[in-house]
Amino acid sequence: MLITFRNVSRYYNDWPALENINLQVEQGEFLVVSGPSGAGKTSLFRHIWMGDLPSKGLVEVAGYSSDRIRKNDLPFLRRKLGIVFQDFRLLPERTVFDNVALPLQVTGTSTKAIRRRVFSLLAEMELNHRRSSYPHELSGGDQQRVAIARAMVSHPVILLADEPTGNLDPEVSRIVIDLLIDINRSGTAVILATHDPRQVPAGTAKFIYLDRGHLVNPNFWDGYRQL
Amino acid sequence: MIHLLKNAINEGLLNIRGKLGSFLITILMVSLSFMVFDIFLIISWNLGTVLKNEQENVGIEVFLSDNITEIESVNLADIISGMEGVRSVYFVSPEEAEAVFRADLPEQADLLTLLGPQFHLPPSIQISLQPDYRTSEKVGGLARSVSGMDGVEDIVYGKEYLPGLTRAVDILEKLVVLAGLVLALSLSLVVANTVRLAVTRRALAVQIMSIVGAPGWFVRVPFLGEGLLTGTAGSAGSLLLTVAVSWMLSPSVPHEFLPGKWIMLVLILGASSGAAGSWIGMKSGIPKPRS
Repeated sequence: MLITFRNVSRYYNDWPALENINLQVEQGEFLVVSGPSGAGKTSLFRHIWMGDLPSKGLVEVAGYSSDRIRKNDLPFLRRKLGIVFQDFRLLPERTVFDNVALPLQVTGTSTKAIRRRVFSLLAEMELNHRRSSYPHELSGGDQQRVAIARAMVSHPVILLADEPTGNLDPEVSRIVIDLLIDINRSGTAVILATHDPRQVPAGTAKFIYLDRGHLVNPNFWDGYRQL
Repeated sequence: MIHLLKNAINEGLLNIRGKLGSFLITILMVSLSFMVFDIFLIISWNLGTVLKNEQENVGIEVFLSDNITEIESVNLADIISGMEGVRSVYFVSPEEAEAVFRADLPEQADLLTLLGPQFHLPPSIQISLQPDYRTSEKVGGLARSVSGMDGVEDIVYGKEYLPGLTRAVDILEKLVVLAGLVLALSLSLVVANTVRLAVTRRALAVQIMSIVGAPGWFVRVPFLGEGLLTGTAGSAGSLLLTVAVSWMLSPSVPHEFLPGKWIMLVLILGASSGAAGSWIGMKSGIPKPRS
């Protein structure tokens, strides 16, 4: 199992961000996490990349356990993850190439290997012609595609996409979702947090719904039938 | 590992290149802050030099009896040279004393002629002291010991001005240390805060690097390097500015610039306060797992 949440609760000053969450994600799975604002989607993601640790229960991700992980292990866990945010979080003073290359640079990959991998990925995502552009010179859709390229550049086993279409119009959102589906088809587990689970075609993904930190009928809920 | 280190250095250079304007402004702010410290050091150094020179001249002049023989004088000088705190002794014969008198006070040289050939100035022994013994207390003690010796007529050692000089040197030394520490601390905080702000401005880069799996040191090295560079360049800039001010003032206010050791002290202080600023900035800028 790639990700396991076992009776996970997280409290901030007694306010439950997550309450008794049990969840499993397998290799190559596509999981859509839906729910209103403040439901705990981002908290759930933070627990996956262990930017936050549970108050109760246990999180296991790619062989790392929340009760045993040390500070020095965090970089190694995070190298197995790719993370995409709603607000892109591209570094404004760096070009597209440098933004995408960052995860490889911080892991000591040689310059030659970085160039090879980044050029190939940018070509694959049809962003090669924008490699010298700065984020502010790109449209929202292109910025998000660059953010996805950055998340995918080091071949992660899990891609976490936290409301990646939240700032995009429906047409561009469609392109981004299709890109995530393609990534999932290539074998990467994708976890997508979204307000609107209808963006993902039926049968493509497993759906869960969070409400005020609680998981609602995790085994039976179907985003399509209930919306 | 080599690639990682190379990338960490490149990361630092990229940070600087990306915000060259604000980097230079930070250096200028650090330079101006350090200039205050440099000027304080120059004033202290020059004042200290004046007082030290005065203290260098502190010695004891032992006037001997008229009837003492030259052999007795030399023996007495030998005894005094063996005493604790004495660096050297010099015997001044009546003839040499007269020559010195004529050279130092030519307008009063006629006085010696009027007094006749049978008059001669008394022989004396000039005592030069070890640096530690140039205080009023220790000179006084030594003078008392020498005054009780046979053949000694009188002793002169600047009884009037020496306590004041000793106190002034003592106060200046304490003031330099105390004010230097206060200034260095406040400057370090100013520099640290300036660098901290520069680091905080890049909180997003720090956060993203952490999220994409950068080891802790990879995140820290570029910021520490930048802080170190800012502090060192800022303090070096302050020295250049101070050299310019010193050069402009030197015709009207003669003074010496700082010695090499003090220049090194300023540079080290700049580097360490820059590094401290980066450290403080990173502590508040790098996300950590909450528990």
